Amino acid sequence: MSDTESDTKQTEIFVQQLTECQGRLFGYIYSMLGEHSRAMDVVQETNLVLWRKKAEFRDGAPFMPWALAIARFQVLAHVRDQGRDKCLLDSELVAALSEETEQQVDQLETMRLALRKCMSELPPEKMEVLQLRYYRSMPIAEIAKSIGRRADAVKVALLRLRRGLADCMHRRIQEG
Amino acid sequence: MASQEIDEFERLLFDWDDGTLDATDTTRLRDLLRTSPEVRKLYVERQMFGAILKLDGDAGIGSSNAEHGSIEAATFSASEGDPLLLSAVSEGTVDMPAVLQNSKGSVDVPPRRYTSLLIVVAASILFCVVVGRWLLVEARLQSAEQGKPAASEGLPKKLEATSAGIALVTRLVDVTWQESENQFTVGDALSAGVVGLESGVAQIEFFCGATVILEGPARLVLESSTVARLQSGRLRAQVPPAARGFQIHAEGLRVVDLGTEFGVAVNEGEADVQVFDGEVELYQLTGEPRLVTAGNAITHADSGMLEPAELTPDEFLGLEALDTRVRNQKEDRYQRWLDHSTQLRKDPRIITYYSMEQDRYWKRKLASSVVPENRNLDGAIVGAKRVVGRWPQKTGLEFKRPGDRVRINIPGQFGSLTFACWVKIDSLDRWYNSLFLTDSYQRGEPHWQILDTGQLFFSVRLGEGPGKGHHKVLSPPFWDASLSGRWLHLATTYDVETKTTTHFLNGEKLSEERIPDALFVQQTCVGKATIGNWSSPTRPEADFAIRNLNGSMDEFVLFRTALKPDEVRDLFVQGSP
Repeated sequence: MSDTESDTKQTEIFVQQLTECQGRLFGYIYSMLGEHSRAMDVVQETNLVLWRKKAEFRDGAPFMPWALAIARFQVLAHVRDQGRDKCLLDSELVAALSEETEQQVDQLETMRLALRKCMSELPPEKMEVLQLRYYRSMPIAEIAKSIGRRADAVKVALLRLRRGLADCMHRRIQEG
Repeated sequence: MASQEIDEFERLLFDWDDGTLDATDTTRLRDLLRTSPEVRKLYVERQMFGAILKLDGDAGIGSSNAEHGSIEAATFSASEGDPLLLSAVSEGTVDMPAVLQNSKGSVDVPPRRYTSLLIVVAASILFCVVVGRWLLVEARLQSAEQGKPAASEGLPKKLEATSAGIALVTRLVDVTWQESENQFTVGDALSAGVVGLESGVAQIEFFCGATVILEGPARLVLESSTVARLQSGRLRAQVPPAARGFQIHAEGLRVVDLGTEFGVAVNEGEADVQVFDGEVELYQLTGEPRLVTAGNAITHADSGMLEPAELTPDEFLGLEALDTRVRNQKEDRYQRWLDHSTQLRKDPRIITYYSMEQDRYWKRKLASSVVPENRNLDGAIVGAKRVVGRWPQKTGLEFKRPGDRVRINIPGQFGSLTFACWVKIDSLDRWYNSLFLTDSYQRGEPHWQILDTGQLFFSVRLGEGPGKGHHKVLSPPFWDASLSGRWLHLATTYDVETKTTTHFLNGEKLSEERIPDALFVQQTCVGKATIGNWSSPTRPEADFAIRNLNGSMDEFVLFRTALKPDEVRDLFVQGSP
């Protein structure tokens, strides 16, 4: 194999890995930052750094730990820049939560499948509220207005729904 | 930890997400996180839950109207690039700057930036695509052609695009195509069908991983990503272990590869199979398969008899030999362009010309190539990187980051204009992707750019006020992801005699449009302008419109006349890499 061919091969493998880790990368960063568009920004920044540093990556080395380490730096930088008003976690908490998050994010696809099965059993009205809140990030007050219920009732319902679905998800994972 | 505290934590986190948590409670929430490992674990679980739903929301999975089956089917793709399918913003025809996206912007903003890098990356390796779903972007472009955005209003719908393709054309040397069959260019994806070479050599890479070098005259019928039928001519196949099982059918014979390199030639009912490395299995319509090992050759005669034959590896062009021929061809084409460019520099109709030839990599000045020399026309490179151009011998400029640009200043008044450049578009991330824009947008100033829908956009400013801004001339969409990473020749002429604007792609007319008298401007001018980006006049606020091109440029020329179609065609032919 010539040098250019081997470079191309490397790039190919790199891109494949990068593509495959997008979901988990988002899962990790979102867990740390908890806000959709900001998490997206940091995912994008992380992608750029990974791309720039791709020479450091060698085929065969585990990709995910490397990507997550870089993601963590990006999260820390973001937390530092944005400050306590915008971010729940400070750098100390990011450090404290990193290990647990890395472990759970490893399970992301499994969780995702399980959660989908659980959601397929939801009645339509619950599904609607869930979608408004999580797919569209609509504030509780607005959801309440749009479905004609009181905000605290929506909140209680969503809290219950979240816990129920999370339990169902874990049950399904354990059952395999 | 008491379940009370767990409940409290859940409520606090929920309110934080909702943006309704006050400072005291925020402190409390942080304290809970700091002190309890149990809370931390639960925090991650809840956040992961949110993340999964966001991902599904972006991918349009699990919408109430989605059927169970499609949910399952979507599993694979959902974790990757799907949000790009939702990125259609139907603002294409409204002339407003895409202001630097605020990071805390509403979540309804399509998450296009998330994927833009991936598209770029994909572009750069399109020729060795491993996953056909990179071509997803096409769905968006196809729907743009139909004049509607890919994503519908409200909750995003699942749009799993598919792209037909079982192999890619990766190299072509001196190819002429059989008249009855399709013509291809390097980078094209091939579907099942015929590749007919009158002469020349084509390298075809099957998605399974096998590489075939087809020497004309030859006809190869692609049947799937693992099977092709050689009707006539000669081919050499290189099959890495990953593609084991790759088959070439020829004259009632099936050659099944067992990880190897072999040649097949079909001539007047006879098929020759030669194994250079590894081994293959030969299947006839009846009878036992026969193993042929390295260093052996078999002739399959009309009669159906298999007979040993002489091994002649030199008759089958290999990858290395092809490489040399490709390089020679490149050198020839580069020389042809250089000769042409040397003449072009003296053309008195040129306003400015940047051949980007032999510029040093470290120079931040983009030398004007106009003869006689005029250093006032030199451009200043800001951010943009010098990269390899159409040929390894010359440079081009890469525009990647939002600030990348070339600043120029062109005094004077003009009438007709022609813009032409060679450009390699990695992706169209912005609503407006700049080719050439004047700083301000005053009467007579031209703007030349590409919309995210893949349409060329040209306009000359008339003036202020409603109904008299400008007349924009849009080409039909010409770009889609399959062109990503390829050098394209773009040209647009503005003819004040006929009051028409004409767009060209690779020397062919894309579209032509007459400008209504009320919006027509006779006298044009440029002044301070930018290549590859837009420098809006200095304003107090720091935000700037992001209109940078995502890709590379190699050669840019501006004429004070509207070139005739055959002249534009000549620019393309002489500069074709």
